[in-house]
Amino acid sequence: MKAQRKDADERLLVEAAQADPARFADLYEEHFERVYAFIAGRVRNRQEAEDLTSQVFQQALENLRRFEWRGVPFSAWLLRIAANAMADRWQQVSREQGDPPPEPPDEAAAEDIERRTLLYQLVDTLPADQRRVVVARFVEQKSISDIARELGRTQGAVKQLQFRALESLRAQARPRPKQDAPGGRRAHA
Amino acid sequence: MPKSSPAQRLDQAIEAMLGSSGAAPPADAEFQELVRIATALRELPRPEFKRNLKADLDRRARMATATVSFIREGFHTVTPYLIVQGAAEVLEFARQAFGAQEIFRFKLPDGNIGHAEFRVGDSMVEIADGNQQHPPIPATIHLKVKDVDAVYERALQAGGVSLYPPTDQDYGERDGGVQDPGGNHWYIGSPRGETHFLPDQRSVTPSLHIAGAAQCIEFLKQAFRAEEVMRHQTPDGIVHHAKLRIGDSVLEIGEAHGKFPAMPANLHLYVPDADAAYRQALAAGAASEREPRDEPYGDHIAGVRDRFGNIWWIATHIKNVQF
Repeated sequence: MKAQRKDADERLLVEAAQADPARFADLYEEHFERVYAFIAGRVRNRQEAEDLTSQVFQQALENLRRFEWRGVPFSAWLLRIAANAMADRWQQVSREQGDPPPEPPDEAAAEDIERRTLLYQLVDTLPADQRRVVVARFVEQKSISDIARELGRTQGAVKQLQFRALESLRAQARPRPKQDAPGGRRAHA
Repeated sequence: MPKSSPAQRLDQAIEAMLGSSGAAPPADAEFQELVRIATALRELPRPEFKRNLKADLDRRARMATATVSFIREGFHTVTPYLIVQGAAEVLEFARQAFGAQEIFRFKLPDGNIGHAEFRVGDSMVEIADGNQQHPPIPATIHLKVKDVDAVYERALQAGGVSLYPPTDQDYGERDGGVQDPGGNHWYIGSPRGETHFLPDQRSVTPSLHIAGAAQCIEFLKQAFRAEEVMRHQTPDGIVHHAKLRIGDSVLEIGEAHGKFPAMPANLHLYVPDADAAYRQALAAGAASEREPRDEPYGDHIAGVRDRFGNIWWIATHIKNVQF
């Protein structure tokens, strides 16, 4: 019942955005972390992950009217676009550097995407000071002393915030039921 | 020795993980799961990336449904933007000399003009006082009029300085040159006989005197898909006069020489996709003056400087704003 409700909600969001592209923001908020997690787990660096993520959402917005609702989650359509964008990128790079193509994602990879998606979404729910420490420490890779200076806190206080943030993320992170991944059911776009 | 706190011990494990390039080194059993989470957080998306992409998508969505044209009403693809010292004087000069109609004036607290717009004939011109960030950049404008001699006289009476008196030129034009109080050169001309004027050339045509005009033309083709419609050049490739069309506008360009010194311009360019045009201009060799961003006056606008000294404000009009 819960899954059916989720499908119905998502369908409403998609149809609203198809009628009025300004509503695409809702779909973006819903799926940003999943798309990013899928891409970031498979490319070499942050810049490339950001470029590809931008490309995926821009293409999705442009082609939204071509998405037909046939019971396939919208996320599968997005991840299919992402998989194609990465394949194109690899084709281009491999022509230049002779790199091997990426392995298709397996079930374990799909579960990993869901774990990361949930984790990234949970970071947004942390109290502001904990979230600031997480971003500074892990995204910006700053030292505890630099963060302490920026926040005007002691190093001990920053370590406490880091500890509490990670404890909180652990407590809340429960694997979700597996969702569709590219290579699974095809979206009809 | 006091026992370190869990927060400190966890940080030591995290420090080791962040310092390792590959998989995280084994941590104390009590922290293994937290370090695993911390490892995954290294790939957490940057909040500003998420925010900026959302803003970009929002803008694209609005553009897709927008009923506004990407060119602001009353404007054309290319509009000269005069940056001068003494913008108010130039405005008054243009009013007296050319019958310019002032459309808008934004005065700064120090009395300088932050931005103003005026219409001459069928064309718009923008103007502002220079400042440290945007120093004065006197420009050259080719002004098409009916009565060259009368306008030339009025320009002198309005405080202009003659560059040359009205003359019948062998290229199919009677023209005279005047420098305004801001240092801009106005070539006041009227077609005569077999003329170089294009049929759709408006009252105001930006005229670029450039060191390296031929190369500048190539840049404009690559950056802004300019279409070359006329070129007079010497056998060794020095461009005397060329006309380019960008969108609905005409641009003139010629090699700087003698009494026509290099006078690159500051230009406002409307395009359907400012982001794409900005990237294309950078790829063609321009340097960024400013990345694209939305402005409260309704333009999504970026700035580049080409290697010939011209500054291009690349804009897509996204909403109509009442001033």
